[in-house]
Amino acid sequence: MSEPVRTARMRIQADSEAMERDLSRLVLTLVELVRQLVERQAIRRMEQTDLTDEQIEVLGLTLMRLEEAMTEVCERFGLSPSELNLDLGPLGTLLPQE
Amino acid sequence: MTDTGTYLYAVTEETPSPGLEGLHGVADTEVRTIPCEGLVAYVSTVPLDQFGAEPLRRSMEDLDWLSETAGAHHHVVEEVADRAPVAPVRLVTVYRGDEQVKDLLRARHDDFVDVLSSVAGRREWGVKAYVDLSAPGPAQTAPSLGGPGTAYLKRRQAGLRSREEAWRQAASEAERLHETLSSIAVASHRHRAQDPELSGRKEAMLLNGAYLVERSRDDEFLKTVDDLRDRGVEIELTGPWAPYSFTDLEVRGDG
Repeated sequence: MSEPVRTARMRIQADSEAMERDLSRLVLTLVELVRQLVERQAIRRMEQTDLTDEQIEVLGLTLMRLEEAMTEVCERFGLSPSELNLDLGPLGTLLPQE
Repeated sequence: MTDTGTYLYAVTEETPSPGLEGLHGVADTEVRTIPCEGLVAYVSTVPLDQFGAEPLRRSMEDLDWLSETAGAHHHVVEEVADRAPVAPVRLVTVYRGDEQVKDLLRARHDDFVDVLSSVAGRREWGVKAYVDLSAPGPAQTAPSLGGPGTAYLKRRQAGLRSREEAWRQAASEAERLHETLSSIAVASHRHRAQDPELSGRKEAMLLNGAYLVERSRDDEFLKTVDDLRDRGVEIELTGPWAPYSFTDLEVRGDG
């Protein structure tokens, strides 16, 4: 390995602070993905009218609180909602883009 | 000691005087020509410590190097395109020597002649269409019965629907744009839509089209593009370019 090292700008910097931040971002992204999937499922079932008004209200409240909690946690980690996303290359992004 | 290779930019039919004096290409090397069987290859001699297969793998990760090299490559192609119908070759196509380039011209002679005659007197235009989905949807739906949870779900439902609707409308507008432009162009090609990181824009790209247009119909093409603006999709026009999207002969270097 005697050849000179070129600066490779696209390599990942693996210092521990960045790793911690990236890891929490990844975890939050996955939580947000599940939250959005459940929300869409809830909307679909609401449209199919196989839920009672009471069930809709409970589901809605739960999802609303989850969203508020997500926003809070994101703020604590200094992340904006648009940062909670993964680029899957040809498949687009994991979450729909705002 | 530096080994060298032959970097290929483009191929044209043989012309009386290429007139390339002083034209420089990648890594500031002088551009020269290799004539063979009625075709001409535009090449320059490049050091393999930058353009060999292994160094290239690393160089391609260096964005400054890449954009400089791409700029030089396209400059040469554009200069050549000003003089004769041209078949540009992909970025960083490198051969071991001039002899290998001649082999290519001999082996693919008929393909090159076909492609060159299909682009003669025609230029490529690029048209991209974007849609901005972050624009706020229609205002709240009518206040519904039920508590805050139900209201929340209804709001999300409306947001989701209006986004889907906006996307559908914009997508069909982009389809129509592509069809209209294709009917003016001699040939068209849809590249894969770029994601925002590559396009440098926040909006979603719906169309990434390339259109080969007869010079005599340039005005008509440009006017049509203009007429179709402001219909819910944002249009970005680039060009005229050398016919990059219509001359891909899958030429690969052997460096």
